[in-house]
This record gives sequence, C-alpha cells and structure tokens, in this order.
Amino acid sequence: MPDPVLTELPEEEEWQVDLGQVGLFRRVLNGRKWYGVDWWMVVISSAMVVFFIVIAFFPGLLATYDPLEQVGPRFLPPGETPDAEVLVLRPDSPFESLEDLAGLGRVPTAVVQGAPSSEDVRSEADRISDELDEAGSDDQVGLRIVRVETIEDMIAAVQTGEVELGVGSSAELEPLLADNPEVIIAGPITGEKGGKSFPLGTNQIGQDVLSRLAWGARVALTIGFTASLFSLFIGVPLGLLAGYTGGKFDRGLTLIMDSLYAFPGLILAIAIAAVLGPSIVNVIVAIAVLYIPTYYRIVRGQTLSTKQGLHVEAARSIGATKTSIMRSYIFPLVIPSVAIIFSVNIADAILTGAALSFLGLGLPPTTPDWGIDLARGQEFIQRAWWLITFPGIAVMLVVLAFTMLGEGLMEIFNPKLRKQ
Amino acid sequence: MTKKLLLVIFALALVAAACDSSSDDTTTTAAAEETTTTAATAEETTTTAATAEETTTTAAAAEAAVCPSESGGGTVIIGTTDAIASLDPADAYSTRDWEILRNFGEPLLKWVPGSGDELVEGIAEGMPTPSEDGLTWTITLREGLTFGDGTPLTADIAAAQLTRLLTISETGPNQVGLTLGNPYVDSIEAVDDVTLQFNLPAPIAFFPQLLASAAYIPANPATYPEGELNIFPDAPLTGPGPWIVTEIVPDETVTLEPNPNYYGDAPGVDKIIVRQFADPQSMALAVQSGEIDVAWRILGAELAVELADVDGLNSVVVPAGPIRYLIINHVLEPTNDPNVRKAIASVIDRDELSDVIFGGAVDPLFSQVPPGFLGANEAFDELYASPDLDEARAYLEAAGYSEDNKLQLPVWYPPEHYGATTADGVLLVVQQLEATGMIEVDVQAQEWGTYIGAVVGGEEYPVSVLGWFFDFPDPENYLQPFIENGGIGTMVTSKEGDISPGVDPALLELLTASRAETDTAARAEILDELQNVYAEEVVTVPLWIEPEYIVYRDGICGDASLPNPESLNIGPTMEFVYSVLGTDGS
Amino acid sequence: MHPLLLIFLIFGIPALIGLVYVYSRGSSGLRTYMTTRIALTIPMILILATVVFFVMRILPGDPIDSTLGPKGTAEIKERFAEQHGLNDPIFVQYGRFVGNVFTLDFGNSLIQSQRPIVDELGERLPATLEMIIPATLLALGLGIFLGTRAGIRRKSASDYGSRIFSVMIYAMPIFWLGLLFQLIFGVWLGWTPIAGRIDPQIPLERTTNLLIVDSIITLNWAALRSVLAHLILPTLTLGLVLSGVFLRLTRINVIETNQEEYVAAARARGISQGTITRRYALQNAMIPVITLIGLQVAILLAGAVLTETVFAWPGMGRYLIQRILSRDFTAVQSVIVFFALFVAVISLAVDILYSLLDPRVRY
Repeated sequence: MPDPVLTELPEEEEWQVDLGQVGLFRRVLNGRKWYGVDWWMVVISSAMVVFFIVIAFFPGLLATYDPLEQVGPRFLPPGETPDAEVLVLRPDSPFESLEDLAGLGRVPTAVVQGAPSSEDVRSEADRISDELDEAGSDDQVGLRIVRVETIEDMIAAVQTGEVELGVGSSAELEPLLADNPEVIIAGPITGEKGGKSFPLGTNQIGQDVLSRLAWGARVALTIGFTASLFSLFIGVPLGLLAGYTGGKFDRGLTLIMDSLYAFPGLILAIAIAAVLGPSIVNVIVAIAVLYIPTYYRIVRGQTLSTKQGLHVEAARSIGATKTSIMRSYIFPLVIPSVAIIFSVNIADAILTGAALSFLGLGLPPTTPDWGIDLARGQEFIQRAWWLITFPGIAVMLVVLAFTMLGEGLMEIFNPKLRKQ
Repeated sequence: MTKKLLLVIFALALVAAACDSSSDDTTTTAAAEETTTTAATAEETTTTAATAEETTTTAAAAEAAVCPSESGGGTVIIGTTDAIASLDPADAYSTRDWEILRNFGEPLLKWVPGSGDELVEGIAEGMPTPSEDGLTWTITLREGLTFGDGTPLTADIAAAQLTRLLTISETGPNQVGLTLGNPYVDSIEAVDDVTLQFNLPAPIAFFPQLLASAAYIPANPATYPEGELNIFPDAPLTGPGPWIVTEIVPDETVTLEPNPNYYGDAPGVDKIIVRQFADPQSMALAVQSGEIDVAWRILGAELAVELADVDGLNSVVVPAGPIRYLIINHVLEPTNDPNVRKAIASVIDRDELSDVIFGGAVDPLFSQVPPGFLGANEAFDELYASPDLDEARAYLEAAGYSEDNKLQLPVWYPPEHYGATTADGVLLVVQQLEATGMIEVDVQAQEWGTYIGAVVGGEEYPVSVLGWFFDFPDPENYLQPFIENGGIGTMVTSKEGDISPGVDPALLELLTASRAETDTAARAEILDELQNVYAEEVVTVPLWIEPEYIVYRDGICGDASLPNPESLNIGPTMEFVYSVLGTDGS
Repeated sequence: MHPLLLIFLIFGIPALIGLVYVYSRGSSGLRTYMTTRIALTIPMILILATVVFFVMRILPGDPIDSTLGPKGTAEIKERFAEQHGLNDPIFVQYGRFVGNVFTLDFGNSLIQSQRPIVDELGERLPATLEMIIPATLLALGLGIFLGTRAGIRRKSASDYGSRIFSVMIYAMPIFWLGLLFQLIFGVWLGWTPIAGRIDPQIPLERTTNLLIVDSIITLNWAALRSVLAHLILPTLTLGLVLSGVFLRLTRINVIETNQEEYVAAARARGISQGTITRRYALQNAMIPVITLIGLQVAILLAGAVLTETVFAWPGMGRYLIQRILSRDFTAVQSVIVFFALFVAVISLAVDILYSLLDPRVRY
C-alpha cells in the first residue's frame, strides 16, 4: 500500500480506498497537510472543548468565590473597585468611629438607598461586635438603618440630628464637603464586601459573575454530555437493530422516531421539563428524549447501506450471530458519524438547556447556570450590560466549539467533499 | 431573482420603519419641547418620592408634573404587565381587573385619589348610616344615575346587581364574593327608588371601606345578567363610572373613552389605552421610546431606578404596596414547637434582605399590619430584635437541637409567581437560618398551582413564602385571613374555625373584638394587643413591604386639586384612577 | 368569519387544487407514493397526540388550584372537574381526546374565562404566521444566497466567512440575539419599535388578524406602515438564526452537485459558470434543501416560541408558555396537537413536492 504522505493526490476512487485503510490517528496527524484550514478548525475547537471540560471539572481554576455567596456590592462593573465608605458626622459628635458606638443601643444611621453603604456599615458593626464578644465585653455595636433618597438628604439628616451618623462613598462625599461645613467625615470603613474588584463584575445580589460562569460551565456541560450520552446509548442500538432486522419492527419504530424527529424539540422539552419539575436530572431527561431519533436515523441509514456489503454477507455465511455482526462489522463503520453527531448534539443540548432555564422551566432558580443568569440579566439590561453579555458569550463559545469540532470532523471524514 | 425581491421588501420595510417611528415620536418630541423646566429640575422631580406625609416639593418640580388648568386632551397610553383575569365585579379579584372595573364602573363610596384614607361618596348621596345594633346599613343613591348606555340605575337594579356578589360569585374562578361578600353581608335590598339597605350578620367597623372596593360596583344588567357571571364580556362596557370601555383586544389592549352620561366632571383626556406587556423590561423600553406614556404595575424597583435617570421621564415611588412574609405552619413538625418558631423569627435579617435583593428599595416589615394603618405597631422588632443569633440558638437549644443534632427545616417557595427575587430572598433566608450552625434547611421549589394548593391545605409545608395585598385598606384584611379558618396555611385555627391546640385563644378573641369595635381609639388598642399576641405566636413572619413604582413621560400630569399629583394621585388602593390624568397639550 | 377558517381556506384551497391536479396527471408511481405518504400522516399525528396527552396528564399541579388559589373551596373544585370531564377514567378521557383531535374540536380553556380554545388559537395563529413567514423567507433568501456563493467559491474568504457566520449565528441563543437587537435598534438607535404588533394608537379593523392583510383590505396605510415596522426585529432575529441552517445545507449540496459529472460535462462544453450554477447545479441542489425545509419547520416553531417571548408577540408560542405555567392542560394539549398537525401537513406537502422534483423517490 503506497505511503499516503508521499504520493500525489490520485483519482477519487483509489484515494478513497486508501483513506479507508489509514488509521484514524495517522489521518489526524497528517491532516495538516491534507485538510488545511479545516484541520486548524478541528484543532482549535478541540482545544476549546478541552478547556471547557477542564473548567467543568475544576471550576475553582477560574472561580475565586462561591457562586452563591454575595461577595461584593450589587452591580459592580467589571474591574472596578468599589469606593471606600466613610462616616458622616457632626463636628461636635462624641464619636469618631464605629467602635465608639459600642453599648449605645441601636444608633440611627442614614444611608443612601441603593448604595452598598448599608451592607458595609452593618458588616463592619457586626465585625466589631464579634471582636468585643471575644474580648469578653457585653457591649455591641447596633445600628438602626434609615434609608434616604440622595446624598444631600443624608447630609441634611445628620445635620438636623435626625440621625447620629451617615455612611456614604468617599468619592461622592468629598466634593460636597466644601458646601457643607457642618459635617465632617471620618473613616474609612471597609465592610466585608468592599475593597475588592471582580474581573467580570457582580450581579444583582452581589455574586461574582466570573465564578458563576465557571460553575455554570459545569452545569451546562453536565447537561450536554449526559443528555447526549443518554440519547446515544438508546438511539444507536435501536438504530442498529432496526436497520439490520428490518421488517415490521423497523417500520414501526421508524414511524415513531420520524414523528418525534419532526416535532419541535424545544416544545417537547418544555412540556417534559414542566411535567417533571425543576431539577437537573429532569432537564437532562427532557433533552435526551429529543435527540434519540437523530442517532437512530443516521445509524439505521448506515446500517441499511452496509448490511448488503460483501463482508457482512461473508460473515453471515460463516454463521456469525446477528449481535456479533452488528458489533464487529457494522458498528465500527458508524462510529465516525456517531462521533460527529455527538459533538453537534452536545452543542444543541447546551442551547436547549439554556433556553429552558431562560424560560424558567429548567433548573432550581438558585443554580449557577448560564441560562438563568441570562434570564435574570435581562431585567437589568440597561444598567448592567455585563450580566447578559458574558453568559451569552460563554454559551456561544461552548456551542461554537462543539459545533466546529463536529463540522471539522465531518469535513475530514467525508472524503466526497474533499475535492477541489 | 427571488433574492432581489426579498432585498427590496426588506429595504421597504426599513423605510417604513423610519417613517413610522418618526410619526410615533411626534407626541413625545412635542412634549419634550413644551416642558418649561430645565433638564436639571426635570431630573430632580424624578427622584422625589411622594409619600402621604411629604408635601415639600419644589415649585419647579410641581410644575413639571401638574397640568395647566385646562388639560390638553389627547390619548394616554398606560402599560401594564398584568393580564386581565375577569371583568365581572361579582367575580374579579385582582388589582388589574379592579382597576378597569373602577374606571368604567363606580362603587357607592370611593377613595379620594392620592389620599391615604379619605372616603367620599361615589354613586351614593351621602355616607352610609348604620342602625343602632350595627346590623343594618342604609345608603342613598344619587338622583338620576344612569349607566353609560343610558339605562337608569335605580335602587332596585343596584340591589339586584350587587346581590350577584353574594349569590353567583361562587360559580366563578375568582370568587371574590366568598371573601368580601358573604362573610360580611347577608343580603341587600332596595327600600325605595334611591335607598339601599345592607343586612349584616354581625356589626363591622370597616363597612364603609368595604363598600369602596370594586366588588361593590353595580354592573350594567345589559352586559351582566342577574343569574350568571360574564367574566369576559365584549366591549362596549358601560357602568356608572366616568369611562366606557370601547375596545378590548385580549392580551393586548383595553381602550376607554369618556362616558357622556357620567354624573360628574368629564375626564381631562379623550382616550385611554391600557396596553399589556409580557414583561417589565419591554414595558420599560416602551416608555423610554415613547410607545407608551405611563408604565405602571408591575415595573419593579430596578427598572424604576434606571428610568429615573432618563431625560423626559418621571419616576415616582408609591409606598404601601404588597407585603411578603413566611407562613409558619402551627400543626406540622417541626414548626409546631413554639421555640422553633421563635428561633426562626430571631434569625431573619430584614435589612440584609432589603439591601441585597432590592438595593434598599423595600422597607423591612415588623408586623403583619403595615405602617400607616390603624393601630399598626412593630411587634416583631420589639419581641425579637432580629437578627440575634444567640437568641435563636437559645431557642433552638430549648427545643432540643444542637450543632450535632441540627434542626431539619423544609422551606418551600414558588419560583415564578412573585418574580425572580423570591428565589434570591429564599437563598438569603436559608443562609441566615444556617448561620446559627444549628439548622439545616431543605429548600424546595414548586410551581404556583400545586404550591398554593398545598399551602392552603396546611398539611405539607412547615415554612412557605407568600405575598399579600389588601382587598380593602383596613388592618382586618391583614390579620383575619391569617388567623381564621386555617389562616391560609398557618393553621392557628382549623379549617372549621376552632383554635388549634397550643395556640393562644386570645388571637381569635381579639380579632373578633377588633372587628366590631367602632370607637377608633379603642379599636387601635385592641389591634395593638392582637399584633403582640400574633408576634408571640409567630403566626407568620412578616419580611418586607414593597412600594409600587410608576414612571411617566413629561407632558402627563395628575390632578393638582387632589393629594400627590406628582405620583398621578395613586392611592390608597393600587388601582389607577384614570380620570385624574391630564396632558399639557401634547 | 373565524380567522382560523379563513387561513385554512387561503392556504388550503390552492393546496388542494394542486394536489388533485398532481394526482390526476401523475404516474401510478407518483400516485402510490402520494397515497402512502398521506396515509402515513395519520399514525404520525396519533403518536404525537398520545405522547402529548400522557405527558400532560402526569403534570403535577392542576389548573383548578392554579387559578383559584387559596380561595377555592372543595365544592367549586368538584364542580370544575365535573364540567371538564376531569373525573372520568383516563382511557375515557384519552378516547375523547383522540376523537376531538380528528374532529379538530379543541374544547375550552380551563382557566380564566374558559373561552373556546379555537377562538384563542384563532387570534394567535395569524400573529405567529405573520412573523414566521417573513422570517422563513429571509432565512431562505439569505441562506441560499450565501450558501450558493460559498459552495461555488470553495475555500475562498467568502466560503469560510459564510461558514463561520452560519455557525456563529447558530451558536448564539436566539433570545440573546433578540434582546440585543431590541436594545441596539429599538432603544439606542430608535429606528424600530421594540414590542407588539402595531402601534396601539392606530385603529385597525381586524378580520383575519393577519394585520398586513387587514390593513391592505381596509386601505389603512398608516396601519400597514406600523405593522411592517413592528415586524422588523422579530423577523430579523428569527430569520437570521435560521439562515445559518439553510446556508450550511445549501453550501454542502451545491458542493456535491458541483462535483457531479454533468456539471463537469457542462463546463467542458464551455457553458459559463453562472449558467451552470443557475440552470443545472442550483436546481438539483435545491431538491434536498426543499426536503429539509420541511424538517426545519420544527426548528422554526421552537425559534418562534423564544422570539415571541422576547418581543411580547401575542402568538401561539407565547400562549403555550403562559398556559403551561398556569397548568391549563386543555390549551397546552391543543397547541401542541396543533403544532403537530402543522408539522405533519408541511412535511407532507414538502415530501410530495420533493417526489415531483425527484423522480427517484417514489414507492
């Protein structure tokens, strides 16, 4: 057999025969010369797939924080560090810091509604109270939060004595000090949520977007892989059996599969997911059911065309059982197609999963999942563009990776398209 | 060839869009030109909250939101995300439905729009008068009342139509009569041409407030026959109110025009279109782009805050909206143990809930009766001063739990019904409970239909999350539903009405007493005590009270002669009275 | 007249005429094929209907609780169940259901006003149609155009560009694309409206509820402009996403056809590439594409559901989601059965069309 690397591209038939005899691995390695851009496509998308799989197994590589914990202020833009918080006091005030409030009961404190000041000052107060507790003191720092609309309202409240102190961001307060000599600022204080920046920002309750994305990869890929595997393990054997056996079994099953295949998958998935209730297993089942017909049809088609082949005829004549024929002769031939479908199926499954969560029909709403993040992010689209951008990009990249992998493999395995 | 055709069509469509959007803009650009305030003051108005107490608004701000004395007429488009469930007063039981009903119909008494609790006559002449024993109330109709189509509205017809609430309401899906009708009124009859008599099984102090609810609107017999509900009637819908519903496109729009036969003043605009949106975001985008003039329920805190910064829009907070609370089941384990209940009450950090989920936009709620109502106190704050983890641990230990023997607590919630913030809220509550180190929470989500059935059934969920908005503005309606007849799942009484074992019977006794007490000061005292017992028993755990938000474009204004025109005179019920609207000529 | 009936007539009569014409003029092979194919549709629908029925029946949560909430008493629920035949044994209900499917009797909604579902579908089907038809045209036009170019100029920039475009557009969640369009074109640029079918200020008399048709019939040009403007974003969203699929299909088929011997022969005879493409390659490449249009109906409907949700389009997709959430199983069943019928009919039509174009397929 001529060495494929050294010869020129021969006529179609010879080439196809040669190709069939070269091992898979050899083909891939030598692909660079043979397939050009397509080869690169497969390599790049494989790298992306591997990357996502690694993140799915080890979200900690990307995720610094617990995706469910509120680790920062709400709606922090990517890369920004929140302003330091300072206290606003009257000049004659008996206290200079939060520690001075110990033991005074619940001190009225003004904060601007919507700012992280409230959380910061309360977590500081809690921290100080814990320290006092450990030191054996009975005193605590207690605050009675009074929310006002604007910074000016807060300054006014401190001045008039309505509250004992106010808390606000130093960046906003500094410029106002000149016009308001009746108050001074002290501090800064750093709550447990302040002082840090997050590469992709935080969401509407202060969870780190990057961490949620990383953990979301786990959810998305789990759903994608498991659902596809499910479909594969049911669809392929059924396809083999029906294709090989033929007869009424084949016709009946094909009718059912065709009906299911023709039906809008998302809608069936919606119905099943709604029936079974919100949980990851149910989403997987709903999606798996959708793709069984795909595997079935392709495998059956290939089985039909190969079962007439000479080698199968020969095997039958030497008394090989049906199962062994299917296993040894037909099944290996369908592997490439199945691999391609598997890859594209995962992509589709991830998209369907995201659509289900987006519609609110999939997972429990606190799961760190891309679809759920997209649905929640939709509410804040004008205020926090990063909430839908990054999960959307993540879905797109993962789906792209798997689809390109499948496409590239299809180009490589299907020599008919290789001419020109 | 086909491709070229498609491209041409596409281009045509784009051109059409360009033409169309410019015609859409005429209303809004005219408004932008006409406002007399500078951009700076316009932004000031957007952040001014309108509470019943606050009256200080700058003169410039007031100008932007208040109409000139002669309204410019025109059409006002209002956006909403609620769907219409029913348009028969004898059945309808949601704010959206009541809003429409209240505008084309009118009850005997009505609220002064924008006020906190001012009742005035509606289609009645004078306020109702009770008999000595409080079992009969008499009220007179105005002379010459007609429905919008000219049919006279006499006492006979009114009595017959109002009686529908008592007789056929139970045949419908919403059954408002079972809550607002039969428990309080036995029968309604016409004494003469203009006088109505209500016969009550027991005296109630809040009867006038009850009469002001949309359930007590006499409906036009031409559309609403006496013996049968007509839940989805066809337009036109006429009533004794200032508007006529002229068109209904299901799930899309409801159009109203002034009623020429209305006894009172004509409204300031020529047409109202109420347009339904699938979600608040589309509605927000629509009010920004000028497709609608007013964005009303349910806009949500986030969008209202965002829209406040947009030029040409006014964003206003309307306090006293729905409340959110935990239903604690007093019969199931483990919440049948008072120590467990008190531990839960001690752990809840309402400030954190408000800050983290809503950015501080909701107010912590310390009693099932919200502030502003008669006798409202802060019983939960006084009793539990939560969050107090040490107290909570003490209660848990008293109940026999420890770090090695943790309390297993199932908590249930409906993920979609109240919006996505419910899930966030539950997440936080779970974290707060588990911060004690002695509780392990088992969180379960369930879709609304099953969920509410299970909650009311009282046999499945020890802790569940629910919301509430009053049917009529009185503390009775914040307490009675959670105490009597199973209490919507609290099971402090049985479904039949008997107090459950281990529960303080004072709950029922005080409730019944407060209902009948007509002296306001005395009633306030009874209510105060009732709330204290309520908190002691932890019937429910009130969490927060949400405001409602309304965003409207410059050029729309409220009625300056009524309270709170900057918030378009909304209040005390969350039903928008369209007649207060005016435009300044755009 | 009922909008559903009108639509049925608009599409059905020409189809029926075409069918009869083909049947009478076709060969016996064609006739056999057509008969078999039509006969096969029935079990297909039956299977789907059965799946739907049982899926709906094991739904947790019933519509009674969902609607009545805490305020429903036991007697009301009993009466409600009686009214809707929900107390009968499951097989009786199934039998009734199957019977209804074939007589197209969809029953009444279980919630709210309990309107006949046919009415509710009649209002919403035209809305969905009015969106998916232009979207399909856009998808076909764009996809076939780009796919052909890519197929002809293999391994060129436009080939790779088109392939990347098609894969990327497929990978983007359709709801995300819709949202971005809303934001960019609707709010930031202000070029198009963002939701709904028509500016509510413009009065329009609706007879078919196909607003384009209605506005033309009533010569209401303002309405027509508004309707077209509102159609842009949903059509663009759905159409773009679908175009990716058609692009890929067309490209592959054009490549394969180009490699056929008759194309080489034509080129050898000196016929220009353009003529080859148009008269020979494209026609034959289209055949499998047409079949696949039938299969894409499924994707189209799924995409329609998501697009309608994003753009608040009052069509059947949004109706389905709403009714699933309120557990109105009569309505949900009806919509799904309707979708199944829709898909079955379209794939039947496509298969017959295919058999006309490709004589190799007849059995």
